[in-house]
Amino acid sequence: MKPVIVTKGITKTYQPDTIPVHALRGVDLTIDEGEFVAIVGPSGSGKTTLLNIIGGLDRPSAGYIEVGGKDISKFSDNALIDFRRDHIGFVFQAYNLIPVLTALENVEFVMLLQQLPKEKRNQRAMELLHAVGLDDKVNKRPIELSGGQQQRVAVARALASKPAFVLADEPTANLDSVSTGQLLDIMANLNQEEQMTFVFSTHDQRVIDRAHRVITLEDGKIISDRKGHV
Amino acid sequence: MVVITAVVLGIWAIIVITGFSIGMVRTYIHTAILNEWSHIQIHRSDYFVDKALEDTIPNGFTTYQQLKKEFSNTYLSPRLLVQGMVSSPKAARGITIKAILPAAEDSTTGLSSNLVEGSYFDTDARNPMIIGQDLADKIHVSLNNRVVLTFQSYSGEITAASFRIVGLYATKDSRYDSQHIFVRQEDLKPLLGGDGLHEIAIRVPDGTDFEPIQEAIQKKYPDLDVQSYRTLSPDLVLYESTIGLTSMIMTIIVMLALIFGIVNTMMMAVLERVKELGMLMAIGMNKKRVFNMILIETLILGCIGAPIGMLVGYLTIIWTSTSGLDLSAYSAGMREFGLSDIIYPWVPSSLYWQLALAIIVTALIGSLFPAWKAIRLRPVEAIRTL
Repeated sequence: MKPVIVTKGITKTYQPDTIPVHALRGVDLTIDEGEFVAIVGPSGSGKTTLLNIIGGLDRPSAGYIEVGGKDISKFSDNALIDFRRDHIGFVFQAYNLIPVLTALENVEFVMLLQQLPKEKRNQRAMELLHAVGLDDKVNKRPIELSGGQQQRVAVARALASKPAFVLADEPTANLDSVSTGQLLDIMANLNQEEQMTFVFSTHDQRVIDRAHRVITLEDGKIISDRKGHV
Repeated sequence: MVVITAVVLGIWAIIVITGFSIGMVRTYIHTAILNEWSHIQIHRSDYFVDKALEDTIPNGFTTYQQLKKEFSNTYLSPRLLVQGMVSSPKAARGITIKAILPAAEDSTTGLSSNLVEGSYFDTDARNPMIIGQDLADKIHVSLNNRVVLTFQSYSGEITAASFRIVGLYATKDSRYDSQHIFVRQEDLKPLLGGDGLHEIAIRVPDGTDFEPIQEAIQKKYPDLDVQSYRTLSPDLVLYESTIGLTSMIMTIIVMLALIFGIVNTMMMAVLERVKELGMLMAIGMNKKRVFNMILIETLILGCIGAPIGMLVGYLTIIWTSTSGLDLSAYSAGMREFGLSDIIYPWVPSSLYWQLALAIIVTALIGSLFPAWKAIRLRPVEAIRTL
């Protein structure tokens, strides 16, 4: 399998000039195409920081990070934004949908930024909402959807730009067990059928149980990297 | 909603304040033209050197008759102007005596409509006189009292004659009222010992351009001074020129206040949407788009508010310009400045275009700082504010 994410000696230190907080202390990691990876660890272990750095939302203090064969640590802010738009899908813990747009428009939004034609946007958004089981909710606004449904819209949005991989930061933290099960089923299907790479940070045992690979962080270091139960 | 309301109120305030200011200036100019200056005045060319009694218009009365015939659509008043003194048993003051033809003067200046007491030369009394209410108060006389006018005759002798007050007038300008008295030419001429006219005042009907008439008269009588109120009264020109300046200054002041309002409100809008903006940047909205989004959003809010403000302002002006703003509670003070106690607000139509342009510029300027703050957000920190 081709590697989509490669990190070497990633460190991240907050407040280096006052009281330094070492969030990551030399993380070496390779994630291949089609993997379904859970990054776990106690609070403050560096999961979210690692995800942010992999996703180009934050920059490492030191180290090398390659995404899709490109060293993104050297990208300018604007280049990083464009890179995120075209290559990375994000699923946030709090869904972060645009409240004034419908489910369909939320999914279309990233493609609008990519300046795809209206017809193409609409067709792909409909396909994705169908894939996450929300055919009957396309014209609903986020406030009219349950938490689980909103997170499914967020997954559809993350996939809209046909990214190289999807990063999900605690995607099930606000969901009940039924919604969690449905969401994991959808993501597992997409992983199996379309070879879409998923990387989660999570505390949720239900997610860990479904992961193919589980990476455990503690104090900013990888302390274990094992195959999952599936 | 706050931005829209701020824009509506700002635009409305500009229109109303400007309308009131311009209305006040226009009322002042209108009053000054009607009562004092008329649109055009004709004098002997050297009259203003020392305004001497003998500086009369050559063939004045013939000239008056010719003008009356040729410019029949205007109102003309021939006047004899004499510097003199009015004396009562208690006081005396220096004044200008205007010897007039009552009917002609009335059609030109509407003097009879300014009478507050008495009649307009409608009397059998010998040597009737109309005097300003303010002057009457100052020399402690009232209707039907006799006063003595003292002046120099054509022969250079100091002449005095008794006149009876048959009317008291009050224009909108108390300074004018305390300096001018009106008598009939037929009464003054024998006392002066000669004939002649010093001034022919011409008022053109409202809406008529007076300048072509002025040019035509000057061309026909090149030896006479044919001057408009603009030359005769530079303060009126100053007031006229302030009309445009007033609206511009008002616009700038209110727009400056509006800029702070917009900056404040849009900053709140940005700070309230830190999470949303962070998410948009996280999923790929670049800084240029975020910047433009805030700019366009502010422009849209301005473009919604501006027409509403203009409409409300326009309706306010229409309403007040019909009924007038009654400031009679302050009439004593306003008359000191020659101002009417009823102001008719008015704004030029160009003001609405100026405002439309100004609101676009204001919205753009007001949105720059919030937009700059928005693009300075770091998505990783913005999303953390969940």
